[in-house]
Amino acid sequence: MTARLDQRAREVLADEDAVRRHDASVFDLRQRRDAAVAEVPDWEALRERASGIKRHLLDHLDRYLERFETQARAAGVRVHWATDAASANRIVSELLAARQVRQVIKSKSMLTEECGLNPVLEARGIEVVDTDLGERIVQLAGEPPSHIIVPAIHRSRFEIGALFHRTMGTPEGESDPERLTRLARADLRRKFTEADAAITGVNFAVAETGSIVVVTNEGNADLGMSLPNLHIACMGLEKLIPAMSDLPVFLRLLARSATGQPISVYTSVVTGPRPGAELHVVIVDNGRSELLASDGHRGALGCIRCGACLNTCPVYRKAGGYAYDQPIPGPIGAVLAPSLRAKEGGAELAQASSLCGSCSAVCPMRIDLHGQLLAWRRENRTAGALERVVTFVAATAMTRPALFGAAGRTAANFWSLLGRRFAGNPAASWLHGRELPEHPGESFRAQWLRRRETPK
Amino acid sequence: MVATKGNTEVSAREEILGRIRLAALHKARHPGQHPPPALPGGWETFAGRLESVGGTPHGPVAGAELRRMAFDLASTRAGDGRIVAEPTAADWLGPGPWQLASDAAIPHAYEDVAVGFVRGRVACAENGAVAVAGSDATSRALLVLCQHLVLIVSVDSVVPDLHAGFAALPADAFGHHHLTWISGPSKTADIEQALVYGAHGPLTLDVIGVER
Ligand code: SF4
Repeated sequence: MTARLDQRAREVLADEDAVRRHDASVFDLRQRRDAAVAEVPDWEALRERASGIKRHLLDHLDRYLERFETQARAAGVRVHWATDAASANRIVSELLAARQVRQVIKSKSMLTEECGLNPVLEARGIEVVDTDLGERIVQLAGEPPSHIIVPAIHRSRFEIGALFHRTMGTPEGESDPERLTRLARADLRRKFTEADAAITGVNFAVAETGSIVVVTNEGNADLGMSLPNLHIACMGLEKLIPAMSDLPVFLRLLARSATGQPISVYTSVVTGPRPGAELHVVIVDNGRSELLASDGHRGALGCIRCGACLNTCPVYRKAGGYAYDQPIPGPIGAVLAPSLRAKEGGAELAQASSLCGSCSAVCPMRIDLHGQLLAWRRENRTAGALERVVTFVAATAMTRPALFGAAGRTAANFWSLLGRRFAGNPAASWLHGRELPEHPGESFRAQWLRRRETPK
Repeated sequence: MVATKGNTEVSAREEILGRIRLAALHKARHPGQHPPPALPGGWETFAGRLESVGGTPHGPVAGAELRRMAFDLASTRAGDGRIVAEPTAADWLGPGPWQLASDAAIPHAYEDVAVGFVRGRVACAENGAVAVAGSDATSRALLVLCQHLVLIVSVDSVVPDLHAGFAALPADAFGHHHLTWISGPSKTADIEQALVYGAHGPLTLDVIGVER
């Protein structure tokens, strides 16, 4: 059932140095987040407010979408609607084709990653240049991002230096992050100035004013929105917020949760196109309206893609983003995967969690992530034959006290045997990377009966 | 053919909104405005925060001192490079070694700018960010294309938190193409989490506080 997931995780875990480096970098982000949060006296009130606003927004999403559309149009934006990934990709590629665009600069957008936009454009002969440094690195390496905020976190400086040497002709052996960044800056500046169009994501969309809000540290989205005369912004329909006065609530949470910064370097509120330029906003559903209709899962639509749940997750930290094999990894990726259906195998990800609850504890939007993972497990009924047998046996024994007592005594005898690694041990896969605790020698039931009878 | 495409998009809109109308509960109320957090304000707090995000605060200064500071910054940051000031910044600075950014210029005309002077409207103490209104950066590309950016703000415009920051924006702030909060020079930590200033935008950010 989870064989593919186990397999991928094991491939990653094979390189212990890489696992250690990944774990440390990701946990460093988590600690930065903790330090930043500690400086904000009203942090819990902010989380409460943000999730309340989002609940209200989702409850009235039809009205806010229409309001956004009206206001954006009034400001000169062309608004498009896409039911799924294929139609989003078609809208974007037709817009570009109609204007004979050859070169596109793109800033980070998890949505276009989810839709698989790049290969569609490339198939039409359009060059797409990812401009976020981390995204550029994985693009040059021919890989997908492994984290939603720091896409190349799984790569070392030496690997990146070698990659730049191979693909951009930078000096061999260069591995200094500052010099590598400068080299990429120079290379990408050229791409920025040559491009005919820019594609960006959308962090928030304000219904009241029809504005889109785009947040970056590098300034790449701002260069994109400033240079070519065509800007296409792709947004999931859950990105809306009701009013401009709600925006600071979300902005105060986002960067602190993501990297521990008090705010990102650039927060651009864009209302209408630049004079003489075109601005298109593509509103994408792709499984989101289905989530909205599901009482158990609609909360996941509140996600602001900060990455905090990835950084704190013991499974993500060790296994890395690729083990998930979905555009969005980590706890939120596992929660969204069955609905977004970007790739096969989304349903099994609900098993890739220890349900420790750390993700829910750090989520700025107070999304009940581990509860949702549990809900998916229930809904998927992905249990394999062995699990079905175990559940059946447990249920039978637990409803029959005599049988339960006997089972406890038997377990005491077989326990130590189960913990040993021998061919045919049914617990073998569970024991991979785990230790079975020692058995106390007596079943719980026997202990309880004995202790009740011997007064202290 | 064009009509077909148009119809597809219209029906996509109806399909999506139809599904959402069915799923929207129309229940939860908006929780209202967030109350102001107890955070310190003032130029000193802002300046400290700006430094922590990699920017350099200057001042507060006034009158002739402002001009001297701008001239100094222009020469240290620009070397022999080209210096451009947005008209509303130049209003404060008076004449100097800067050319005026012109509204009509095509964005690519700023590719070779070494230093840009732009006026900021609001400065936020909790995060070191300065709000640049569209009307003060009519040549939007200048903000990100210049190698070094100098923002000029009134020290009276410092607010403690971002809620107050949005509330203090000029009334027409969202009537222009953009409103941009800038907190420090552009940066990245995409290579092994090593912090590097000067990713795609300016390598440095100076903010001059002006006393009127
Ligand atoms: S689920 Fe919460 S913590 Fe995870 S990325 Fe989304 S907002 Fe951040």
